[in-house]
Amino acid sequence: MARLSRLALSTRVAASLLGAVFFMPMAAQKARAADGPLVVARAMDINSLDPARGYCDTCQIYLSAVYATLLTLAADNQTIIPAVAKSWEVSPDVTTFTFHLDPAATFSDGSPVTAADVKWSLERLKNVKGGPSYLMDSLKSVEAKDDKTVVITTSTPNSEFLGILAAPYTGIINSKVASANGANAKADAATSDTSDTWFLANSAGAGPFVLEKYTADDQLRLARNEKYWGKKPAISGVVLKQTADAVTQAQMLQSGAADIAMQVDPDTAKTVSAPDATFKAVPSFNYVYAAISPAAKGAPVPLTKEVREAIALALDYQGLIDFTVGGEGKEQSSAIPNGYPGTKDLPAPVFNVEKAKELLAKAGHPDGFAMELEFPAMNVYGVDLSLLAQKVQQDLGKVGIKLSLKPVPFTVWASDIDNPGVPFALGFFAPDYFGSAQYVQYFGMMPDMPWAKRAGVGKVPGLDGKEQLAMYQKALAATDAAGQEKAYHDLAMKMIDDKIILPLVSPNLVLAYRNDVSGVRYSACCNLPLGEIEKK
Amino acid sequence: MLKVVLRRLLVMPFLLLGIVTATFLLAQFTKGNPLISIIGARNLDNAEIVAAAKARWGLDGSVPERYATYVWNLAHGDLGTSFRTKQPVLTDLAQRLPATLELVICAMFVGAVGGIVLAIVSAEFKDSFADHLARLVALLGSCLPVFWLGLIALFLFTVQTKLLPGPGRLDIRAVAPPTVTGFMLVDTLLAGNWSAFVDALRHLILPALVLGWSVMGIITRMVRASMLDVLGQDYITMARAKGAGRLRVLIHHALANALIPALTILGFTFAYLITGSVLVETIFSWPGIGSYAVDAARSLDYPAITGVTIIGGLGFLLANLLTDIAYAAADPRMREAG
Repeated sequence: MARLSRLALSTRVAASLLGAVFFMPMAAQKARAADGPLVVARAMDINSLDPARGYCDTCQIYLSAVYATLLTLAADNQTIIPAVAKSWEVSPDVTTFTFHLDPAATFSDGSPVTAADVKWSLERLKNVKGGPSYLMDSLKSVEAKDDKTVVITTSTPNSEFLGILAAPYTGIINSKVASANGANAKADAATSDTSDTWFLANSAGAGPFVLEKYTADDQLRLARNEKYWGKKPAISGVVLKQTADAVTQAQMLQSGAADIAMQVDPDTAKTVSAPDATFKAVPSFNYVYAAISPAAKGAPVPLTKEVREAIALALDYQGLIDFTVGGEGKEQSSAIPNGYPGTKDLPAPVFNVEKAKELLAKAGHPDGFAMELEFPAMNVYGVDLSLLAQKVQQDLGKVGIKLSLKPVPFTVWASDIDNPGVPFALGFFAPDYFGSAQYVQYFGMMPDMPWAKRAGVGKVPGLDGKEQLAMYQKALAATDAAGQEKAYHDLAMKMIDDKIILPLVSPNLVLAYRNDVSGVRYSACCNLPLGEIEKK
Repeated sequence: MLKVVLRRLLVMPFLLLGIVTATFLLAQFTKGNPLISIIGARNLDNAEIVAAAKARWGLDGSVPERYATYVWNLAHGDLGTSFRTKQPVLTDLAQRLPATLELVICAMFVGAVGGIVLAIVSAEFKDSFADHLARLVALLGSCLPVFWLGLIALFLFTVQTKLLPGPGRLDIRAVAPPTVTGFMLVDTLLAGNWSAFVDALRHLILPALVLGWSVMGIITRMVRASMLDVLGQDYITMARAKGAGRLRVLIHHALANALIPALTILGFTFAYLITGSVLVETIFSWPGIGSYAVDAARSLDYPAITGVTIIGGLGFLLANLLTDIAYAAADPRMREAG
């Protein structure tokens, strides 16, 4: 009898413990979920939380939530609207920009945002020489005319400077607080500024949130800025949770562990059954491209204009989209993505195998040739580059070009494309801000630009670099939207004609969120504007 | 035995230096550009930004210069600063190692207890249905890919039945207790937060089961072979003839001796799991050292790569030493041979 009682007691204790482990926290979790922070599952790529040094997709989300900028981008992803600057004027020669700060703007410690803070932040961004410092390449001077007026001068006309000032990397920092913790804006800030670590644990911005805690590779916690001068966020805080795997992200969304999943690819989204969640595919400005570099060592045949054109014609663009993202994407005509200045009414890429064969024969390669395709072995924007490479291999095989695939780590790819050079490669690009200049600076065939150097501008026939440079200068000097549109359109047409950069897939972005969450949208400057999100 | 231990401890720093040197040189000569994680791939053509980054992160010197600086700093307890996380590598490791150890200890418990129980059943009922079933369970754990198992486990227990929580060490919305040891189970108890302790325990169940099952196969195989060997010995027959109970013979007489050869595999399995838990860490968003190592390797984060290797190397050396000590403690012949 005694033995039975002990057994019964042990069983009850074990059952209670199991009950506690399995069921007790579920009720508590439900209670917390309602008024707790918003949870965003994403594969984080943070390399710094300092606006002048951070340079990544997650940085865009964090910086736009914590550091207010002079200007920002409206929900239409095209219109520049006021933020810290409530109004501005641009000189007729597009070199002088005067901003009038909103007197209500304050930092998270309650102190006002001054012209001196703007001057300090922009000069520091330039001088720290971090990832996003290139945005300030054309900055000549910043003058704090009075406490609430800033005059910025650029060394050359820059019709895109307003777009640049909407990039989260140009966020205004509380200069007094940051200076007291090792930051500075001096010319030697690249080595003398020692605030990197401080920014990992603290924030000093005028955005809707403040940094609560950052644990690298685990989570980034933000709390509502209770002294925010704009419309206060509806949510008390945000947790960005490191979740590397897309399927795990989807499962977290299904189970309610996450409110938003940021990198669920279109294929995964189709397989998920979640009545409590919304999966909405929206066009993005991200894309994957193929790049032909005629000047790179190792090209099996001269990659002349005819050969490049044949390659471009042999690619089945719609097939590439169907094969890699199940049709959830769109074709892109030029290296400037659809929807950016200059892309209206651009001709769609053409797929014509017969014409491609004809051109190859004309170029002296009727039987084709063998070539290597090097690409980073990774999945980017939901596109598996290995799959994409296989489809490219298949397409080019039909015109006699036998591709051998060379997947490499991203760090190796980034090194190889410059040294020794890669004749045929796959790459990818996402915007840093709303404006077409960043694409021309990276992909344009102009002296000293990255892909122009790789392609051999000035050495390869037809790629002299002068024509596009003149067009680019004209675009930067454009004084109105129509002029800018026309100038970038001409540039885009020229870039299409070069057949150096062949955009392959612009995948849709899947916005995946629980049904009790609203205000989720994709922003070209800020990725996911957290301040606009609400939760029932 | 004491002499052996002292000798091992004296040799350890030199072995570690060898590991550091090999890793440092391999990382330096690996193709790729580490500046990507510092300034981004788009800036690699910007000479000004590249020069500033090289100067700031000590990449502008020659390899021998950098090696000398690294070893000098290492001798002073400085493992450098990670290019990727921008934190001292020592801080990074201190944050991640307890997470991995907590997971690995629980997984080892699952793997060892499960493996030994299966091995006993398998050996005692050799060639029976129970034997085949036990071996199949162990074999499946070794064969099924852990990332697949992890995803299936998450789907079944968090999405479908909602019995267990999703990824992470604690409910994502909850605020973690103050870090004292880095072991979530211990820290939640130290904070007197019982519900957080239960939550941490619930978060541990799935990854520990998945990881533990993956090593159960090798443990079962080793212990089973050893048990079969021991069960055929005369002293076991004698114990049975003297009327000792079945369980007593199995546990007291057979298992105690059969475990000695298995100690080696247990030691190495533990060391292997510390650096080999990366897939489980990835699937369960577990902020441990495995995923840190992979991210470091992907981004050519030299200081982090070397830091992880030192910890991994140290783990293997210590596991080896502890295995030998445990071996000696369990087998008097080893002590005498010492």
